[in-house]
Amino acid sequence: STAVILYVYGYNYLRSQCAYDVAPGGLLASVYHLTRIEYGIDQPEEVCIKVFAPRKKPRIPSVFWVWKSADFQERESYDMLGISYDKHPRLKRILMPESWIGWPLRKDYIAPNFYEIQDAH
Amino acid sequence: MNVPSPKKDLMIVNMGPQHPSMHGVLRLIVTLDGEDVIDCEPILGYLHRGMEKIGENRTIIQYLPYEQLGNIQVPKRASYIRVILLELSRIASHLLWLGPFMADIGVAADLPHGWIDKCLDFCDYFLTRVTEYQKLITRNPIFLERVEGVGIVGAEEAINWGLSGPMLRASGVQWDLRKVDHYESYDEFDWEVPWQKEGDSLARYLVRIGEMTESIKIIQQALERIPGGPYENLETRHFDRERDPEWDDFEYRFISKKTSPTFELPKQELYVRVEAPKGELGIFLIGDQSSFPWRWKIRPPGFINLQILPQLIKRMKLADIMTILGSIDIIMGEVDR
Repeated sequence: STAVILYVYGYNYLRSQCAYDVAPGGLLASVYHLTRIEYGIDQPEEVCIKVFAPRKKPRIPSVFWVWKSADFQERESYDMLGISYDKHPRLKRILMPESWIGWPLRKDYIAPNFYEIQDAH
Repeated sequence: MNVPSPKKDLMIVNMGPQHPSMHGVLRLIVTLDGEDVIDCEPILGYLHRGMEKIGENRTIIQYLPYEQLGNIQVPKRASYIRVILLELSRIASHLLWLGPFMADIGVAADLPHGWIDKCLDFCDYFLTRVTEYQKLITRNPIFLERVEGVGIVGAEEAINWGLSGPMLRASGVQWDLRKVDHYESYDEFDWEVPWQKEGDSLARYLVRIGEMTESIKIIQQALERIPGGPYENLETRHFDRERDPEWDDFEYRFISKKTSPTFELPKQELYVRVEAPKGELGIFLIGDQSSFPWRWKIRPPGFINLQILPQLIKRMKLADIMTILGSIDIIMGEVDR
């Protein structure tokens, strides 16, 4: 709903949506950068909005229906950090393979074992 | 109300990760009805290297965000040199795009191998070649028929989908970060932003060719007016940068003064954007007090421009998919990171 208000104000360009975790064990944040594209504008004004979500069950409503450019970007935030966006049409993993377990960009992520070739002793 | 089941059989085709047209590794699952395309689903991720995770453990020197974080003044000549290099790389990128695109359409055109020492000679040579290409290509009826009216994006939609770069300008929105943001002494040159109104592949092609011509103009003006003498190479640029910030503010300390200074990042976040040839490249940097960034996110223009592909492809023929994909100008390495 905040998104709709901003859209009404004229911020029609969702420039970037990213997510990060605030502190190890703390909240997860989802960041939206918005600006206004108009003809003949000089030094456009921008807004940066952060939405915080708890680490256990992070769920944030999707803004896809307001700005469609959030499509792949929300999927990427879901893929890398595990924030699930409600009412997103196709929320699946986009960069990692579909069967991957774990959220790679969280600070408490442990990369699975890579078996390297070792010399036989 | 029941949805009636489709009477015709729809065929699902997988255009697998590798293509002969060199777009990189992108997999498209296309639903076809005869020759018309009904839907498509792009699947990415074949080239994902985890750049952002790696970046959190490295001190990567990127001049733009650090400059703004520390208010370092860029010396004037370095700024001019940077403009020249940016424009040259923009031309290179557009030329790189032009080759495969033309090969798709079936016209044989080769890239000019004109990288001569003096940029001015190159510029003149290039201008003649560009006019030659324009005569060869733009009036060619086969090319026009394949490219006109294919993959149309309206202006409102383009803004809503978050497109940037030549795709946005081809849909009638005159938005170029070089003019809007006033960065890097672009204001001192006299140039226009090329744009078109229709929003189809032909418009995108025309915008890119127009951008190349404008880039040549910028380069010529920059070369004439470069302060401090002839063109010098990049070593001097490094020295210029390191010697200025003696008067820095207290949060900054140069740990080493030799080749790669490492900064201590203050606890701030910053979003910097550049007009790359493909669109708007943004870097979002969150720093904490160590020398590693806490989050380093790249906003790749190709990733965002690719989102619109399923919508553009509906009701087009199968052969047009490659044309549209080419006109979006994607490099999968940046899409997947």
